[in-house]
Amino acid sequence: MVETVRWLRENSLSMAFLVLFLLSVGGQAVAGLHDYNDQQLAQGLTPISFLAYVTSSSYAVDVAENWQSEYLQFFLFIMLTVWLVQKGSPESKEPHAAGAETDERQQIGPYSDEDSPKWARVKGPRLWLFSNSLGLVMGTIFVLSWLAQSVAGQAAYNSERLIDLRDPVSWGSYVTSAEFWNRSLQNWQSEMLAVLSMVALSIYLRQRGSPESKPVGAAHTSTGVEG
Amino acid sequence: MRLPLIVLASALAVTGCAPDTGSPARAAERFHAAVTAGQTQAACAMLAPVTAEKLPDPGESCADALRALRFGPGGRVTEVSVWGEDAQVRLAGDTLFLHRFGDGWRIRAAGCTPVRDLPYDCEVED
Repeated sequence: MVETVRWLRENSLSMAFLVLFLLSVGGQAVAGLHDYNDQQLAQGLTPISFLAYVTSSSYAVDVAENWQSEYLQFFLFIMLTVWLVQKGSPESKEPHAAGAETDERQQIGPYSDEDSPKWARVKGPRLWLFSNSLGLVMGTIFVLSWLAQSVAGQAAYNSERLIDLRDPVSWGSYVTSAEFWNRSLQNWQSEMLAVLSMVALSIYLRQRGSPESKPVGAAHTSTGVEG
Repeated sequence: MRLPLIVLASALAVTGCAPDTGSPARAAERFHAAVTAGQTQAACAMLAPVTAEKLPDPGESCADALRALRFGPGGRVTEVSVWGEDAQVRLAGDTLFLHRFGDGWRIRAAGCTPVRDLPYDCEVED
């Protein structure tokens, strides 16, 4: 019991976001079902069940289009902050540290210690893979989510086109359509704005106790310092 | 071509006028077979509720309205597209749009001709 409580406390950030994610995705399913069935009834068509909705292309495209944009945001943030800097932001490295950095600073190879992950202590492809694993996984999830959005989106779009008495379109036509790019770009723009806000506002604003902020008393010019 | 039509019309007589629980292609063929055989009452029973309701003019029955449209033969199925609960069936002589209701596939629109960049123009639609 004590062990469980301690484990929960030590992982409270992940657990909190997992619960928030599950509540949000469940809430989206319930609200989405009502919205979908409202439109079905307005068009003289039949409402569908909860199970039919959560396995439908309509729900899948709505979920996937948000996932891909979130993973794109974090992928770009992870990769661009290797080389690009923002003076004064806790989200950035010091300007002189731009780039992949030295082996010593990255604690790899001969500079690793006994607590270093196994693949950080070796050389070759395994070290390269582990050194880039975060970006690779985030980038892969982005690509797969975007692909899922395109497949589910084509199905949902074609269903709507048939309801509107129009011909369905091929996958190739769909991924070059205004519908697909409108769905993608409307999510991307908000993600880019959120990152820009975080990087820029954290230069001058503080949140006491948050590692996403500089210490309250830190100078506006100090970069890469987290509170 | 006439033999399958007779078979379909006979099947209609046996099975009554229920919507098709099988495929949208078969529902489209059955609809056209009924219209061609003069069984417009049965054909009306295969329409989606809103389509059947909107088809007749005031004082006219659905069957009379369907008869007055003088549909040509549907012909063989050339292409079927199913996306979710909706489908488009192309016959040699017609294009139909269908929706899967709780009791099976029903015709939402028939007698449709394409209009560039716009929805099909249909003789019967919801």
